[in-house]
Amino acid sequence: MEPQPKRLKGSQFATDAWVAYPVLSEEQSQEVELMEAFAVPIVNKKETSRLVRELNSLYPLNDLQHLKRVRACKEKGSPHPLEVLVCLVSEAPHMKLLSLHSLLPSGDVRHDGLGDPFVVRVPARPPLTRPQFELASKHWPTSFHEDKQVTVALRGELFSSPQKAAMHMYMMSAIAAAKAGGEMGMEVVGAVVVNPETQTVIAMGHDCRGDHPLHHAVIVCIDLVARSQGGGFYSFDRYPACRFTSEASDTLENVADAERRSQPYICTGYDLYVTREPCVMCAMALLHSRIGRVFYGTTSADGALGTKFKIHSQRDLNHRFEVYKGVLSNQCENLMRSGDNIQRLQEHS
Amino acid sequence: MGTQGGREATSAENFCPCDDDIEKWMAKAFDMAREALENGEVPVGCLMVYNDEVVGKGRNEVNETKNATRHAEMVALDQLLDWCHRSKQDVQSVCEQSALYVTVEPCIMCAAALRLLNVPVVVFGCRNERFGGCGSVLDVSSADLPQTGATFKCVSGHRAEEAVEMLKSFYKQENPNGDSSFLLSLFFCLPILHHLFLSQDLAAIFKRSCPLAPLTKSHQTWYPGSLEGVHFPLGPFKSAILDFELICIMTI
Repeated sequence: MEPQPKRLKGSQFATDAWVAYPVLSEEQSQEVELMEAFAVPIVNKKETSRLVRELNSLYPLNDLQHLKRVRACKEKGSPHPLEVLVCLVSEAPHMKLLSLHSLLPSGDVRHDGLGDPFVVRVPARPPLTRPQFELASKHWPTSFHEDKQVTVALRGELFSSPQKAAMHMYMMSAIAAAKAGGEMGMEVVGAVVVNPETQTVIAMGHDCRGDHPLHHAVIVCIDLVARSQGGGFYSFDRYPACRFTSEASDTLENVADAERRSQPYICTGYDLYVTREPCVMCAMALLHSRIGRVFYGTTSADGALGTKFKIHSQRDLNHRFEVYKGVLSNQCENLMRSGDNIQRLQEHS
Repeated sequence: MGTQGGREATSAENFCPCDDDIEKWMAKAFDMAREALENGEVPVGCLMVYNDEVVGKGRNEVNETKNATRHAEMVALDQLLDWCHRSKQDVQSVCEQSALYVTVEPCIMCAAALRLLNVPVVVFGCRNERFGGCGSVLDVSSADLPQTGATFKCVSGHRAEEAVEMLKSFYKQENPNGDSSFLLSLFFCLPILHHLFLSQDLAAIFKRSCPLAPLTKSHQTWYPGSLEGVHFPLGPFKSAILDFELICIMTI
């Protein structure tokens, strides 16, 4: 019995069917960490500016610049209009009995207009994203220097329709390469390297680990890019779907080209589209090559751009790049599933 | 000699080089590194040894291939694979009985490649603070990555000072012109200048253009928190300062 030909779900250019979300750094995506602090109600509003001045000299908020000193009590019927932050609990550890006198020696801060101190939980670090800011502000008012691009990206609205159409097209090429590799018995993974400035595909390739255990699709593409610039080490000529184009051949020699060649790293400013999240080796290979941005379709169990590690935003490493996931996610997931099926068939036969 | 990282003894139990082997092969790796240094190349020496035989030998080939993944370890692994094909040996079983001897800790990429091939032991000289994948930046050698081959054992610290010295003298001769020290000192002042005069975030520029990790780090420590928010509007000079910074970043 012949297997039914697979039908593509939705139209080929249904760019509405997927959303590219950013893979943010650990710091940007982690939960809001809280610390305990002492606060005091301000009963008499008129004393506020004096209290803030005196508290700032007694307990400066050195490492907590993101915290507002005073917050308004929003609940109706609150006995006092404002509350002021005194210090972290860790800064005053010898407090046996919590009282205004033990917390604020009256020589430094006059107690006029203050109520009884209490413990609050405040955000330990400045919020980096809008979701973090919104969570942090629930605990204590926090200042936030918003990165508008991150906010828009988190909403999945960073890319315009024409940009999404181009991304769609590039990922379709990666999927086509993956399928070609799959037909040759390789793992069904494909990748495409694009120069976003000239909108040209520099290299496309697929997994070749059947012939070389380290020739993952990304590694193949990096060597093809090197070949497009007169370097490269391997020959992938026997794989028709592993190709490269030299940019210089079809564009006139111009200043930008000359600049690009003088750059020491081959993938500077380039985008990579890959059907599934790269492994540790491939992610670090992209970092060494100074890739500009990476777009992947679906996550993988040992992935190093979001799942197990975030190499693109790893502290101590000397290059950072943007990563987006979810481009043509359904098709890329189907690809992985079809890969599993092929493997199972091969194992049975 | 420190033998750290013996935590995963089970997988490497049946295969671990003795001290004499380590001495012998590391001496060879250091000879290679010294030779590279004398030829003005990155002083890293690297050997894959199987059954008391060198089956792979690598040196950094990044510049000639324009391929930033051609580290010495990757070259040596390719040679090991070629050797297997030539002598009709099974790749998997050769790798499982091979050790890598290298003068500097393998980077994150190479560590992952060694895992993918199930190489059980890596002996290295000094740590690689910038890229190290055996504990310095990430610990790929022991991380929980079930689909990335097997964890491997690290034997570190063998003639570490010597390896560091070679790297230092290589990077000294890399930068022979005297101007760079002047630029370098300017460079270290830039974050302060920048913070005083511009509101734009220099960190973003650094992230994109700075090729050297230590400089990025120093930039972070040079940001005095008390200056946060101080801002002098400079109008037309703003772009001039930015350009100047970029020139300095590019030149060094």
